[in-house]
Amino acid sequence: MSTANASLEMKTERQPWGLRDTIWTALILLGSYFAWDVFGSLMDVYEIGILIGFAAFWIWFGRFWPSIQPYSYATAVLSLLAIWIYIQNGNVYEANETAFFLKYLISSQSAIMWMSALFVIATAAYFGGLFAKSESINQFASFLAWAGAVMGTVGMMVRWHESYLINPDYGHIPVSSLYEVFILFAVMTTLIYLFYEQKMRTRAMGGFVMLIVSASVAFLLWYTFDRGAHEIQPLVPALKSYWMKIHVPANFVGYGAFSIAAMVGIAYLIVAKLKESNSQASFVQRMPSLESMDDLMYKTIALGFAWFTIATVLGAMWAAEAWGGYWSWDPKETWALIVWLNYAAWLHIRMSKGWRGKPMAWWAVIGLFITTFAFLGVNMFLSGLHSYGEL
Amino acid sequence: MSQPDNQNAKPDTAPKKQHRIQWGAFLGSMNLAVTLLMMLAIASVIGTVLQQNQPFQDYIIKFGPFWTQVFNSLGLFHVYGAAWFILVLLFLLISTGVCLTRNTPGFLKDMKQFSEGLSLNAYKHQPQSITYTPDHFDADQATQLLEQQGYKVKQHERDDGRTIAGMKGRWNRWGYILTHVSIIVICVGGLMDSNLLLKARELSGNLAPETRSVPLSQIPQKSWVGDENFSFRGTVNVAEGQKTDVLFLPYDRGFLVQKLPFTIDVEDFRIQYYDTGMPKNYASDLVLTSPELDEPIRKTIEVNKPLYYKNYAIYQSSFGDGGSKLDLQVHPLLAREFKPLELNTSVDQIETINTPVGKFRIEFNDFKLHNIVPNSEEEQAKTGKKMHNNGPSIIFKVRNEEGKAWEYENFMVPSQQEGRWFYMTGMRTATAEPFRYLFLPADENRKLDRFFEFLTLINDPDRTQATLKDALPAEGVDERTHEMQLKLMNQLLMLFRRQGFTGITRFVEENVPAEDQKRVRDYYINQTSLALQTLYLSVLEKEETQDLETISDFNKQWFEDAMVVLNSLSNYGPPLFFELKDFTHIQSTGLQITKSPGKDVVYFGSTLLIIGVFFLFYMRQKRVWLAFDNHHQTLTVAGKDTKPLPETEKEFNRLVDALQAQTGIKQ
Ligand code: HEM
Repeated sequence: MSTANASLEMKTERQPWGLRDTIWTALILLGSYFAWDVFGSLMDVYEIGILIGFAAFWIWFGRFWPSIQPYSYATAVLSLLAIWIYIQNGNVYEANETAFFLKYLISSQSAIMWMSALFVIATAAYFGGLFAKSESINQFASFLAWAGAVMGTVGMMVRWHESYLINPDYGHIPVSSLYEVFILFAVMTTLIYLFYEQKMRTRAMGGFVMLIVSASVAFLLWYTFDRGAHEIQPLVPALKSYWMKIHVPANFVGYGAFSIAAMVGIAYLIVAKLKESNSQASFVQRMPSLESMDDLMYKTIALGFAWFTIATVLGAMWAAEAWGGYWSWDPKETWALIVWLNYAAWLHIRMSKGWRGKPMAWWAVIGLFITTFAFLGVNMFLSGLHSYGEL
Repeated sequence: MSQPDNQNAKPDTAPKKQHRIQWGAFLGSMNLAVTLLMMLAIASVIGTVLQQNQPFQDYIIKFGPFWTQVFNSLGLFHVYGAAWFILVLLFLLISTGVCLTRNTPGFLKDMKQFSEGLSLNAYKHQPQSITYTPDHFDADQATQLLEQQGYKVKQHERDDGRTIAGMKGRWNRWGYILTHVSIIVICVGGLMDSNLLLKARELSGNLAPETRSVPLSQIPQKSWVGDENFSFRGTVNVAEGQKTDVLFLPYDRGFLVQKLPFTIDVEDFRIQYYDTGMPKNYASDLVLTSPELDEPIRKTIEVNKPLYYKNYAIYQSSFGDGGSKLDLQVHPLLAREFKPLELNTSVDQIETINTPVGKFRIEFNDFKLHNIVPNSEEEQAKTGKKMHNNGPSIIFKVRNEEGKAWEYENFMVPSQQEGRWFYMTGMRTATAEPFRYLFLPADENRKLDRFFEFLTLINDPDRTQATLKDALPAEGVDERTHEMQLKLMNQLLMLFRRQGFTGITRFVEENVPAEDQKRVRDYYINQTSLALQTLYLSVLEKEETQDLETISDFNKQWFEDAMVVLNSLSNYGPPLFFELKDFTHIQSTGLQITKSPGKDVVYFGSTLLIIGVFFLFYMRQKRVWLAFDNHHQTLTVAGKDTKPLPETEKEFNRLVDALQAQTGIKQ
């Protein structure tokens, strides 16, 4: 009986409650209490609800995926350090020019630059590891991706603090402009990828996935240096709502997952093409099997679809409160529906008709174009109620 | 491998029914479903790429009359209300419905089915199957093992042994049911909130939208809708201190008036700004009274904080001017004396003014209390502020008798440019253009008095004549030549006043032989400038505060700035200048009021959808069977997933490992 249990435990990820989890839970509870204690007076009931919900979710998530624990610790330590340094320097925004650590490491702008660099190097390292057949390079690439995710999150956290420093009136969670959500996108996509990397025990797809993250970093840098988009702007009245805190992140789980599906789709198509000419090619050997990539596409699209559904429904509820109607056929709304319909069709074809392989991979890649248009194109080419963060 | 599930449908038995069954098969088919999803997506793309519900003229300008006609007959300018779009939605409903009715009974049965009664041989032919001889096998222990892994277990006694059947993840099937039911529920909710009823009334001829902009009292009964309207969403602007019991619903190319069963008083409207001049928040204090209420409801609404009353919701959606009172001085730009006309009016009023050059209609469109604009970089460096406020402004149109309109934006207080103070006035003749600004220089008191003294003097030939004669005595020429020179000056001034320096140049080009043109033009311009300077000096003299021996830099600069304005005054449109002297700011709040009985239905459907999607993706329906064979003392372990995934095999193997660890294997 006992041996049976041991082998079962390996499979069901339900590990017994250990010291590690106790510390994890205690720290999250403590952190949430602290947040409530300090900021509770500024929060409405919904925001307190979100805080509680988030704490509960994060406790669960840390157990479901233990790697999120060190990531959270690193983020928390660096963010708190940045805030502490700000406070040491008179709690003024200008301290980011003078205080050494802020200037070079963890003011939001520096942290985001670090994130950008780390993600780009990680992309190169993943490809390096793939072609040099070196597991240690691959491990290093994973480390860089984790580090980039930490720096990106630190950047967002500190930006949140900085928005209040610039002007208490401006203060808001940094998910309100195109610039801010691009950071969210890069971090979210990387994290979702890292989850599947662990689950599938292969780093061979890292380069492909991090390519889209690097592309978003490239956009981010152009947006910063050419358009000065990194400047913190106040919120328009319609965005001042607790809904933003849940609607936007939910959306970006969707976008991130769909992007991963598309990049895996590209990897799939390349491998399938090479396999036709030479099934023994060493590149083909090093990549995951076609079936497992196909399955990963399905899993990420399913994940994205589920979260995108939630995000769209939340968006409708928010719209009902802010604009007086849950659905107005505003371009952004409509494009969210188009994205949703597209993946609904994808899932139907796969689940009911049992299509697999190349057509589905192509479709996933096309899906990325649709998603990108919904994400970026609408802001660039169409106007509407959602026209925040125009290019 | 497992059978695709959509083959559950029983083969047709009665050939007579063939026809109907094929219809059902078509309506519930996956191909139709995916086609409909894609059609909806494409329609939505069209709806976003082609701007919807614009004025018809705009489309004609964009696409030309032919394509506008084509697009219009396809309903592409109102895609989401087009008949074919509704038809696609309806088909979607039917298709989902058919699919549901066909699959649900089978699925419900399937959820309860452990298939514990199959033969040993059937188990051996399951997608996963392995047979081995255990050392010892205990049914209860095995049951426990399966239950630990989350299986529901059923035991069955066969003739030749015993079967333990396990199943888990049956909620997956509920996922399918919930998602599809939710689509139907959401569509029904959406239809409840559509304007189908109004459309029906319009077809039967007793509803016609109003397309003119006329007072409420002149709107015919046919454009009114009452309480019978099931669901609506409209807007109304209410000035502070005013009230409303109607709402305007956009409809087709016009609007309908919705009577409300309550009255809303707007007691106050407030708006707060960021230091960038962007609105930060706006709020209205409302009092809602209704015969059904003993006590009126008082509430302050803000963006994102509506007032809910019964099944109505009242939102803060915009703001505007509620008829601010304006005290103006009208300066006729051709007048010969400085005696402006007083005009007391308000925003949204129309006034008429008679001038020697015709009658003009003045439409006062808007008043802005603040005009906050970004500072240039030098200004930023100097003041340390990113923005500055140009103060109040009015926006109005002047229309002549032929209907041609000029639009103006005039500022009340002077603003500083390069250290000097100017009254800005912008003009344009098409709304698509940006305003082009004239900068009227302020005098030392930061007023426009000097400018108009100067202008009216130039406008008055008699006074000009006298002034020039006084100031420019005949020196070295005879009386007649001097007369002639003064007369020429006067004519040049008239020309300048009407057409600026370009007018003088043109006159020379048209009337003087080519070889003399340059000389004559230089002389004329010289004479005009001399005349203007002389007149300016007389204006300064009249101000009495000036020391005319040394003209200050300010006064020199003022003259140059005034010349720029005078030179282009001829392009300013009708000869009227409106100076805002005083105002009483009255704001209006833009309310959006909705009655949306379908909302809760849609939310309910959405909840089902989310739950369903999670069941569908994160529950996998799995079955396992442990079939012990009494004769051979062997155990057959078999498994089947409804939707096999790559890990199905691995999980099955792990189960077998665990089982073998429990039962042992006989060597
Ligand atoms: C948007 C409107 C939808 C329509 C019109 C629609 C329609 C259909 C149709 C016609 C079928 C085929 C049934 C049959 O073969 O008898 C089907 C199957 C299916 N649909 Fe949908 N569907 C919709 C939304 C969804 C959504 C949102 C999901 C969730 C992701 C979903 C998941 C499924 C699944 C899993 C099946 C296969 C069921 C099975 O055979 O196991 N559908 N749907």
